[in-house]
Amino acid sequence: MNFAELVFIAIICFTAGGALLAVLARSIIHAMLGLVATMFGIAGLYIYLNAPFIAMMQILIYVGAVTILIAFAIMLAGPISKRPREWTTRGKFAGALGVSVVSTFIIYFFLRAAFTVSGQRSEITTAEIGRVFFDKLILPFELISLLIVVSIIGAIMLALLSKGQK
Amino acid sequence: MTGSLLYTNLNIYLFVAVFLLGAGILGVIYRRTLVGMLVSLELIMNGAGLNLVAINSLLVGDNAYGFVFTLFIMGLAAAEAAVALGIIILIFRRYGHIEGAELAELKELKD
Repeated sequence: MNFAELVFIAIICFTAGGALLAVLARSIIHAMLGLVATMFGIAGLYIYLNAPFIAMMQILIYVGAVTILIAFAIMLAGPISKRPREWTTRGKFAGALGVSVVSTFIIYFFLRAAFTVSGQRSEITTAEIGRVFFDKLILPFELISLLIVVSIIGAIMLALLSKGQK
Repeated sequence: MTGSLLYTNLNIYLFVAVFLLGAGILGVIYRRTLVGMLVSLELIMNGAGLNLVAINSLLVGDNAYGFVFTLFIMGLAAAEAAVALGIIILIFRRYGHIEGAELAELKELKD
């Protein structure tokens, strides 16, 4: 086992720990920090998969944009001391754990049965990604930008122009 | 399973992605506030993106559709987070809390 594999295992542990913190933390701020740890871990996995451009986009978009939006949602939704507890009842937790474990195992065995080979990592450059974007998938690319504009306008309409307290 | 190195083994990536999916399902079901549910949804989307990139990088090799669709997922996640932020602010303004289970009415009652 060489050094790269040790770093790989460390990144996987970091990702999994961040995901557990994001789901199980009592405080919602801690959950958000766990989400940030998961994003960074997945960016590391993308670099191991020879996709450095995707890794940079992961850090820029998820850590830089989505997490900041979540932080704004946390800050704008009132003081944390008045927030209800994040934990629900024990029975609901057991039910949720059962559902997630069962569905996880089912999906994992389907995936495992479908793909049993793994070979070399591909050498796809950023130029090829851009070529696929602008040669083959130009319409979805433009539609994504339209979608983002519409969603931002919709968010502004919802947040600013709606009626206040009932 | 023929990869000699640990990080060329597809099953490890699939397992990490499925772990993220399971954690996300757990969070969506049992978190109480809407922000907690949003965090868990982001976990699920990350798992999907990791699956796409791993399968494209280790199995396909000669085109980049998986990478491109992961970028689409990132754009969709950003749009979804923006709309969710607007909805959370609206719900907090109307109800004074953001507890998911308590939001039982969609429309303003006429009285």
